[in-house]
Amino acid sequence: MGRDTYLKKVLGEDRYQKVQGSTVLMVGAGGIGCELLKNLMLSGYGTIHIVDLDTITLSNLNRQFLFRKGDIDQSKSITIKKAVESFNFHGTKLISHHGNIMDTDQFPIDWWDQFSYIFNALDNLEARRYVNKMALFLKKPVMESGTTGFDGYVQPIFPYKTECFDCQPKATPQTFPVCTIRSTPSKPIHCITWAKEFLFQQLFDESVEGDAEDLSNATDNDKELENLLKESNELVELRKLVVATGEVISQNTFFSEMVRKIFQIDIERLLLIDTLWTNRLKPIPISDAQIEEVADLIRSGGIEQRLESLIDTQVWSPLENLLVLYKSATNLQTRMKNNKFIAFDKDDEDTLDFVVTAANLRSLIFQIDTLSKFDVKQIAGNIIPAIATTNAIISGFSNLESLNFLAQNSRTDSSMVFISIRPNKYVTSATLEAPRKQCASCSVARGILKSEEGTLDQVTLEQFIDKVKSKYSYSSDISIILGKSKLIYDFDFDDNLSKSLSEIGFKTGELVLIQDEDDEVENLELYIEVGLKSNDIELPELELRQKILIEKENGHENGVGKDAEEESGDVIESDMAFETIVIEDEVEEEVPAPKKRRIN
Amino acid sequence: MEQESLTADEIALYDRQIRLWGMGTQLRLRSAKVLVINLSAVGTEVVKNLVLGGLNSLEILDSSKVKEEDFSAQFFLPNDDSIVGDLKLLHALPQIQELNNRVTITSNTRPLNENEGSYFKKFDLVIATELSSKSEILWLNGITRESNIPLYVSGLHGMFGYIINDLIRHESEAEREIGNQPRVVGTSISGNKTIIGVQYNKLTNKELVKVEDVYSQLDNVLSSKKVSSQLNKRQMRRLSASLPLIFTLFDWQRPTDIEADLDNSKLKAAAINMCQHLNIPSTVITDEYVELVCKQAFTEFSPTAAILGGCLAQDVIQFLSKKESPINNCLILDGIRSEMPIYSL
Repeated sequence: MGRDTYLKKVLGEDRYQKVQGSTVLMVGAGGIGCELLKNLMLSGYGTIHIVDLDTITLSNLNRQFLFRKGDIDQSKSITIKKAVESFNFHGTKLISHHGNIMDTDQFPIDWWDQFSYIFNALDNLEARRYVNKMALFLKKPVMESGTTGFDGYVQPIFPYKTECFDCQPKATPQTFPVCTIRSTPSKPIHCITWAKEFLFQQLFDESVEGDAEDLSNATDNDKELENLLKESNELVELRKLVVATGEVISQNTFFSEMVRKIFQIDIERLLLIDTLWTNRLKPIPISDAQIEEVADLIRSGGIEQRLESLIDTQVWSPLENLLVLYKSATNLQTRMKNNKFIAFDKDDEDTLDFVVTAANLRSLIFQIDTLSKFDVKQIAGNIIPAIATTNAIISGFSNLESLNFLAQNSRTDSSMVFISIRPNKYVTSATLEAPRKQCASCSVARGILKSEEGTLDQVTLEQFIDKVKSKYSYSSDISIILGKSKLIYDFDFDDNLSKSLSEIGFKTGELVLIQDEDDEVENLELYIEVGLKSNDIELPELELRQKILIEKENGHENGVGKDAEEESGDVIESDMAFETIVIEDEVEEEVPAPKKRRIN
Repeated sequence: MEQESLTADEIALYDRQIRLWGMGTQLRLRSAKVLVINLSAVGTEVVKNLVLGGLNSLEILDSSKVKEEDFSAQFFLPNDDSIVGDLKLLHALPQIQELNNRVTITSNTRPLNENEGSYFKKFDLVIATELSSKSEILWLNGITRESNIPLYVSGLHGMFGYIINDLIRHESEAEREIGNQPRVVGTSISGNKTIIGVQYNKLTNKELVKVEDVYSQLDNVLSSKKVSSQLNKRQMRRLSASLPLIFTLFDWQRPTDIEADLDNSKLKAAAINMCQHLNIPSTVITDEYVELVCKQAFTEFSPTAAILGGCLAQDVIQFLSKKESPINNCLILDGIRSEMPIYSL
């Protein structure tokens, strides 16, 4: 057959056969996914499973070449499968799954077990970390990849043999002290964060409890604290106006009450605290005249025409901002009649307009530059620029490096590749390093606990502990944590000993973390898989390594156990004695900062 | 007449790339007329990337008929054996147009050498892939030089590939972070790149740097002895056999029987000869690489086509944007080592 002549020559007959016989998983059918699926099929992969939970949007079409205008709002995983059939030259079997890869019901561990390797074409940290963890449980190789603008990377991961995804720290979301956001903004992003995370959230989104308590940590200035509390309470009142029925409260009332409160009263109150303004420009509240001008326009009905002429890439005047704020606020108010809450979404025009204009008006008050809607959208929506060419290059390397999984010296032949355009080279490649000893993911042994439903009802926690202790030769007592943080046993908490495992919460997809109380051997994490026909609980064959002592850093232990689990999470605590506001991590695709490595 | 600004629809469609390269570059793309010669595997990738990017128009010149081996990596072809022997563009063009209806896609199925020099004048830029011989490359370069048209030439040999270009002369200007030392006008960056302007911006604390790229004609590139002078000792020690082997293949007759491998000892001898010509030690030629290239010469392979086509299209966009200094003038893809050195020849 002429069709695979080239493949046989490039890959060699043996490797080509292996490629054809491989069943692989591609997680993500977006920018990298479209390119990668094309490559994988054209290089002859036998069976490819595709998982994505997303639907197609207009802004995908500049690079996700398998999608068309008519596909907008359709499932990516399902559309992509249909789109590639036209060039399925080598008879690849394609199976698409519309769903969240972290869903243990749809994707239980035995489903994962069918793959020879896993290609990440993902756009967020959480899913990358999850796939990484599953790969560690199953010892499956992963090809990790990411792109941002002109930059991109691929990282082949051989679990417990080379660095995993968590071995290198990742860029964390930017955070700001509450005071900066609520009282003393100095940059556009402070005002955007205020509009999105505070104002919009309080007025339209699911209510957040405990604001008062959090605020007491936010500042030492009693006067400021009092103000902040007052502001919050008044917003609760405003929200009541939002959800009040339209007949009693006219739309105009909500709007003007809101503008007076947030752009006049709150600002005037801030101005009373002299200490805030000794080294800062004083804010200037919106004038009554400005509010009147808007009210006149609304009454005369001339605003639609004004709004139509606005251009998203231009900076709007204060009046234009007020008009768009009016329009979006009243739209949101109307929508709240049928919704319990509305969440901010950069592609939801009402929510975006509200945040853009509220942020800009606040910027005007604090004498900060205002931005166009186009620019605010990028910051509020955390949009990462993305282009076809970078994705094509990275998907090419992802595919190319994956072929080393099949080679004799797979680990030494594989490299990380970064795009780094210089006069004398286009990419930088680096050899794979051994796992980092401090890595929260690699320093834990992992395996699968197999059982069947009935057995979990019969076996008690005490029996389970005995079994674990003898299997892994623990010399001291152990502690056990179920799921993220539920302590079910340690040396002075034995309440659960006589309960059955199912009673305690053992079920498919749950994780059990076992720690040595003497801290001598590494932690052990077990993935519970129910379904196997067996009268007993089956523990994985594993040898627990001695724990590596890690020097104390910053006054707390780092790297292993439950502390580490928390540290690897996304919540960042500032060193300052402030509560922090986290800008949500909604990046499209991302690249870690290049580390110092051994460069080939 | 061209509109001077982008429409709201264009901004919405190209949102994610405008955020990277700005409205100015998007407008330049929208006015660019590009010719792609040969819809090979690399050609397919380049066309995909540039049509998605949003050119004014793209003409594809390809007189070839569909061959069975085209169903390896040329994904614009429908999966249908019965089209073997048909004109390739007849079947590929509709799929290409579907990518982006804002770009005017046209075709030319006349054989390359039957087109007169004046034909090429209507394009702002020419990209040729998998040209049949060195003499064809030099013939085309003669025409593009004469008409002052920038030219890219690219091709694949399985896991290996190349981009060579003659963009004649190019100026780019971009704001850069201040380095350890202030930039000085007249500094040569690498071979044929020179800083010709530096303007300090007090407000942003950055430098506006203007770079001039001067290009060699491709016959000088293909007969250059400059490689060794561009490498330090370490780089010279690590030099792979891919450069001399690829250069050797420019003089090789494209095989008519795609199943057959090249003659191993002939290729090795020619490659060693090429090393002398390039003024690099012949010890870089390893049996492993000779064996690989004997099998992979002139074959197409999807992942390397994607990498090379991605780089080439990206470089075309950089060139048109006038913001970044383009490749100057010989990029080698070594898919075994995952390396892409660029030589200034």
